[in-house]
Amino acid sequence: MASATTTAVSRLGLAPRLVAIGLAGGLLSGLLGVGGGIVMVPLLVFWAAYPQRDAHAISLGAIIPISCASVVTYGVAGQIRPFAAIALAVGSIAGARIGAGALARIEERPLKLVFGLFLAAVAILMLVRS
Amino acid sequence: MTTAAILLFVGLAAFGVVTGAAAGLLGVGGGTLMVPFLTLAVGMSQHAAEATSLLVVLPTAIVASIVLRRRGVGDLGVALRFGTLGAVGGILGALLALALPAHVLRIVFAVFLALVAVRLIRDSLVAT
Repeated sequence: MASATTTAVSRLGLAPRLVAIGLAGGLLSGLLGVGGGIVMVPLLVFWAAYPQRDAHAISLGAIIPISCASVVTYGVAGQIRPFAAIALAVGSIAGARIGAGALARIEERPLKLVFGLFLAAVAILMLVRS
Repeated sequence: MTTAAILLFVGLAAFGVVTGAAAGLLGVGGGTLMVPFLTLAVGMSQHAAEATSLLVVLPTAIVASIVLRRRGVGDLGVALRFGTLGAVGGILGALLALALPAHVLRIVFAVFLALVAVRLIRDSLVAT
């Protein structure tokens, strides 16, 4: 079992640290009910030494399989409000193009500043709601 | 559609543009912004808000990833494999959450986020 797992992980062709961050990031986000990106971006930057911009891009790609799994495992289908989901998605898809385009151009330092302020706000909200 | 429904649609779409732009720039899904908005401003239950936001996060992340791939930022292949591990971890985490005091963990995690925030803001302001 353990060796089968090891083989499956090595077949992914990811550095050991990326494997650890992927699992830990998913674990923490499932445990705490926060999005994976909030956990993964800091770990990719400070532990795996990714450039800030690449860490954000990797995190976005990783959200695709993570959110697919969440949609399936949490059985959310019955709770989805289609009207709101469509309206939000129409705007969000347009916004995603703007945001990702900005990520491709932004300098490292303002990106760190904006993300740092965002994390500070999330931390304050989490503490207030606890 | 009634006028009220049209206004609601436009309002939600406008908020979607903001969350989508934040998601694309920050590399997050956008649920952090959408869930409080849907519960507080639209009046959805927590469960409905989380389910709805989860469905919006998926196309947002796909579109942002396509834009970034075209611009040659990051590595989508690595990201998808990395995210597959994250999905496995996420399922384990959701199961663990049933057994652990999530309240205490949230406070610990909030402190961790605050420390990361201070470090990022300091790094961005100090001349290198």
